[in-house]
Amino acid sequence: MSEVVIENLTKKFGKTVVLDHVDLKIDAKEYFVLLGPSGSGKTTLLRLIAGLEDVTDGSIYIGEKKVNDLLPKERNIAMVFQNYALYPHLNVFDNIALPLRVRGWSKDKIRHKVRDVSERLHILSLLEKRPKQISGGEQQRAALARALVRDPTVFLLDEPLSNLDAKLRVEARAFLKKLQKELGITTIFVTHDQAEATTMATKVAVLNRGTITQVDDPYELYIRPNDVFTAGFIGSPAMNLVRGTAKRVGAEWEFFNEDLKLGLGNLKLDAERGVSMGIRPEHIRLARDGEGLGCTVSNVEPLGSITYVTVNVGKTSLVIQLFGKSDLETGSSTRIEFDKDGILLFGDDDGKRLDVTGT
Amino acid sequence: MKKFSIAVIMLLTLISLVYLFPLYWTLVTALKTSGEIFSRPPVFFPSQIIFSNFYISLNIFGAVSQTAIGSVPWLIDSTIIAVLATLVSTFLIAAPAAYSLVRYLRSVWLGRLILFMTMIPGAVFIVPFFLMVAKMNLLNTWWGLIIVYISFTAPFATWLLMGFFNDVPKSVEEAAQIDGLSPYQIFYKVSLRLVRPGIIAAIILNFILCWNELLYALVITYSPFPSGSQTVPLFLTSFIIIEKNFAWGGLAAAGIFTMLPTLILGIYAQRYLVRGLTMGSVKG
Repeated sequence: MSEVVIENLTKKFGKTVVLDHVDLKIDAKEYFVLLGPSGSGKTTLLRLIAGLEDVTDGSIYIGEKKVNDLLPKERNIAMVFQNYALYPHLNVFDNIALPLRVRGWSKDKIRHKVRDVSERLHILSLLEKRPKQISGGEQQRAALARALVRDPTVFLLDEPLSNLDAKLRVEARAFLKKLQKELGITTIFVTHDQAEATTMATKVAVLNRGTITQVDDPYELYIRPNDVFTAGFIGSPAMNLVRGTAKRVGAEWEFFNEDLKLGLGNLKLDAERGVSMGIRPEHIRLARDGEGLGCTVSNVEPLGSITYVTVNVGKTSLVIQLFGKSDLETGSSTRIEFDKDGILLFGDDDGKRLDVTGT
Repeated sequence: MKKFSIAVIMLLTLISLVYLFPLYWTLVTALKTSGEIFSRPPVFFPSQIIFSNFYISLNIFGAVSQTAIGSVPWLIDSTIIAVLATLVSTFLIAAPAAYSLVRYLRSVWLGRLILFMTMIPGAVFIVPFFLMVAKMNLLNTWWGLIIVYISFTAPFATWLLMGFFNDVPKSVEEAAQIDGLSPYQIFYKVSLRLVRPGIIAAIILNFILCWNELLYALVITYSPFPSGSQTVPLFLTSFIIIEKNFAWGGLAAAGIFTMLPTLILGIYAQRYLVRGLTMGSVKG
């Protein structure tokens, strides 16, 4: 159970910078998720921690030890790959036993340990089967068993759920979370799926184009994203982001663009400036006749307990969340109003959140 | 099932006939009476089937066996030479070479270059090979021929296996790396096991190459039994040249007899062969 510290880490493939001066501290026993779109460098970061790639610049510490120059096997980490990477020519037992065999364990000890881990992962009945003969979910557990069998101090997971179907994925999510809690192993989990990240993690690092944009617990990430990228990436459907200008009108501030105008109340802003206004679907609601903003319904997506409705205000498209079933029809007109507490402003130059609300 | 048009089916049938005809012709020649062998126009369907040619061909082998080491020394020599050349080139040279080319040098061009080398006509190397083998004092020995055969079986198998090693998922090797296997263990315990179909294809194709090889055998093992060792194709040729009356029927029967091992191997391993060759051609 070790902490993992990453200092000023840079990774280049040729001239392409994949990770750019990344700093990160992952506490012991934490369930840490690296979240980002494809190409953000999250998998590369994981592979650097595993020792499968060479560090270009910077340091990686596992526990107290600097591991830059250690081989993967000397780092006492375990990794589960996206495609599980089980040995196809060995049965499940031998797959799990291999890491122990190369360490020279005795036959009895190996049998004991493999059965132990298999029991925990509910794959005792599969030990004689080849990876091809078992289902995707079972393969995943076999891969987990192989990773856990030598009691690693850090557990690395590279999108291990993406090859499972939707129902299994939800099950596996709960299972992994429980397992991690029981074992208390520092776990680093890579995913591009923000739902996976927020449901499992104790802490999430969001990556974009080789840099970390924010490290926070899932709720903070959702409520107070540091920048436009994180705001748009976390949450499904995504936060509505509208470009425009914030300007002072009398004592108060107002957001406007060619389509809409919106009172913002008091802001700690110095001068008029270009902004991106962000608001989540649940902070927009239908307004009574004569109030709010007129708009046209362009799409209705009923999900049962809630309904997402896409409306157009001029050329600006917004997604709003309604409870239950909605009577709105595509093409009809309606009126909406905004919950001002849910509005976030981001600078239109650097995309950083402007900490301007409240008096 | 993929459906072929009639034209394609006809074309494929025609090609198959062209390739199968020599096989058929050898077989009926072996089964014909000597009168029908020489008749004009040629007899495609013998009126009478006789097996004495097989008997005679066995007698050919038998006649030799009386003077030499075993009962069928030509076959034994052929088998030993083909098997050793195939195994040494596949396991000791081609598999490690292909693996390191794919995983460490990552050089597709080197792989192609290796294949091009096998396309140089064998005649070019006859004199150099003869001199080299002579200098090593290995003329008329198994090892003389084995070394020469390895010179073309190893590059071919290397090229063939490169395609297969390329297909081994990298993540499986990385998993092995994290599990604590050394690079050699990863090669031997994981990757080599995963390219089994390729290994089988390489072994069979190389075995056939060696088994049928005539040109080098003619030069390197020129002295007949009992002093030297010679392979079956060489023996069949020497038989034609030495005898005044060509026993075509007996020769055809002997040909059928000697092609049996490769035929059986080929049929048994057909799926590996198809996969091996098509894969190589794509991945080259």
